[in-house]
Amino acid sequence: MDDDRFDDLIRNLPDDFKVPDPPLEEMWRVIENAHFNARTASTSRVWTQSTPWLAAAAALLVGIGIGRYMPTRSAGPTPESTLGSRPPASSTQLPLYDTSAVADAYRDQTNQYLGQAAALLISLPAKAGTQQADATFANKAADLLVTTRLLIDSPAATQDPKLRSLLEDLELVLVQIARLRGERNKGDLDLIHQAVEQGDVISRLNSAVATTQSSE
Amino acid sequence: MNERQLIARVIAGDRLAGRALYDTHAPRVYSLAYRLSGDPEKAREFTQDTFIRAFSRLAQFRGDAAFSTWLHRITVTVVSNARRSEVRIAREVTLDEAHSIETAPEAEPDLKESIARAVEELSDAYRTTLIMHDIEGYTHAEIAEILGVPEGTCKSRLSAARAQLREALAAFKE
Repeated sequence: MDDDRFDDLIRNLPDDFKVPDPPLEEMWRVIENAHFNARTASTSRVWTQSTPWLAAAAALLVGIGIGRYMPTRSAGPTPESTLGSRPPASSTQLPLYDTSAVADAYRDQTNQYLGQAAALLISLPAKAGTQQADATFANKAADLLVTTRLLIDSPAATQDPKLRSLLEDLELVLVQIARLRGERNKGDLDLIHQAVEQGDVISRLNSAVATTQSSE
Repeated sequence: MNERQLIARVIAGDRLAGRALYDTHAPRVYSLAYRLSGDPEKAREFTQDTFIRAFSRLAQFRGDAAFSTWLHRITVTVVSNARRSEVRIAREVTLDEAHSIETAPEAEPDLKESIARAVEELSDAYRTTLIMHDIEGYTHAEIAEILGVPEGTCKSRLSAARAQLREALAAFKE
């Protein structure tokens, strides 16, 4: 290929790889829900309304977690050290926000997220279901994946190595669940269950739920 | 209302200001996410992730760089992290799956497929630089600021990326 031909090819790259129209409204709804409606947790509401037994299961997990771990919390890190979002002491510029409010927001978001993740994992069937059922799990996992990645980079995780490790394991599990959409991935359920068991993910979720609940 | 004021209002919880910022920047963010991921579904997810992350960190935006630069830096980070996660799950990925960039229907199929594959096989740094410069139209100065590297590094990466691309396409005589 000569120089002119290659230069043409480079010049034409933008036309060759056209971008589809962005789904602006659809994306905005997700962003709005995640950022501005975080406390109302609309996605959670839709999920729990459509599958109330999942909500009950999640509540049960939370209850067990609190019952098991609450007495030991006094020896643990303070809520502020675990979930606070204070800037480094060396920071010379004052933040434009109320750090305690941000910490509360992260705690609420983490709490809500952990409950949803627990609900999803314990409701995951042992065998592949219908394509529609798998798609429901996959979609929910994809939604949770967004939150997982946000939380991994949030002060809630950066200041709490245990939570960060749990979130990273959850990220891997959720990526696999999110890929259940395709027919070819149905055999992967065993691998997902294996990953959940080997990582002791549900029991660590219990513990994390108890920690965030008791720090409120 | 200027962008600085919009940002202040979003920090205060004003969703209309958030929507205004989103309307201004979302098409470019989506375009970048799509070009870097080659998949519309992933581009949607990465764009959402970018804005959710950006809004939650707006208070940390000090205005040293343009807001768009800051936002595009988050986009590149989001896409890179996701690509690393995909590698971490160590799945067998077929060539067809890896090569998912949609090509224009009127393009020469073999050549376009080969270009997409060659771009996909570049290292992350080369690939990102090539896509941002040659496809998305960023300047070297912009890319350097977004990626946090010197402009010279950016230029040498582009040059190396083009050389690899050319080598991969050597079979195409015409």
